[in-house]
Amino acid sequence: MSQRIDSLQPGPDLREGNNEYWQTLLERIPYARHLGLQAQQDSSGVWVHLPYQKSLIGNFMLPALHGGVLGALIEITARIAAHGKGAQASYPRILDSNINYLRSAQARSTFASAEVVRQGRRTSLVQVNCWQRERSVLIASGRVQLLLATTAGNQ
Amino acid sequence: MTESHEKRHSNAVMTAWQFTQEVPHGQDLGMQVVSVNGGEVCMRLMPQSWMIADDGAKEICTGVLYSLADSASGLAVFAEARELTPIATLDLRMDYFRSATTERALLAVAACRYLTDEIAFIHCNIFPEGDKQPVAAGSATFMRNTRGQRFQTTLGQKREA
Repeated sequence: MSQRIDSLQPGPDLREGNNEYWQTLLERIPYARHLGLQAQQDSSGVWVHLPYQKSLIGNFMLPALHGGVLGALIEITARIAAHGKGAQASYPRILDSNINYLRSAQARSTFASAEVVRQGRRTSLVQVNCWQRERSVLIASGRVQLLLATTAGNQ
Repeated sequence: MTESHEKRHSNAVMTAWQFTQEVPHGQDLGMQVVSVNGGEVCMRLMPQSWMIADDGAKEICTGVLYSLADSASGLAVFAEARELTPIATLDLRMDYFRSATTERALLAVAACRYLTDEIAFIHCNIFPEGDKQPVAAGSATFMRNTRGQRFQTTLGQKREA
């Protein structure tokens, strides 16, 4: 971790890629609070943790998480990642998302990491990968296109 | 089609309908199946304040629309196939035309575009109730006849494959 310039930045470190910053952004989203999403971090970067709860189940016979839960996790993670890059006051708007389901999502903790594929002036394309037991074993991946917030009257 | 076939098929749709109503995540979001007319499924969700995308805003998190589309699309596979063989979502793509707000209920209307023994292609539109213009649309691809148990509901009897 690089040194902070404390004299100019009181309070939490609000730079992109920091889990305190991601956590701050997550806590401003009521639905993210409902899902219990938490930002986590190690030396490799920051990701979002979705703790298991019964209300996430989509198939109670397997059991497996609902595909829509993974959709929400992927979309919110993409929004946070795009927001961090753009540093706008308001969140980017999600235009579309395209999610592939690779394995059945078990009734356990799920994690999502984001990579900004392309950062444009007005849009951002974010790739999000989800895993459970092992980071290298993906259960779902998605690409989310976002429209960045612009100031009023600016196109 | 014989009468017994008709009955079995409608039972399959009713079981899938019941199953959809019992899904914990669907219950958490308050999703309800409104109708199944032939292959067309309609599901309804009344947005709640905790579904909002940003403190202070009125727009609903797109993830809620995603869940609604996924559920309606899954039921649409059974409505078209009229069989309870297990399915799995391969992918779902959503386009969010504009923001959905908490003011009105959301209706998801899903139908199968093409069905084979292995695959179902589903299209789904999401409308604010009373509005002819969709706020979002999705297209999903499902694998059919995956390995796994057939559906059973807590009300229905266990069905052997």
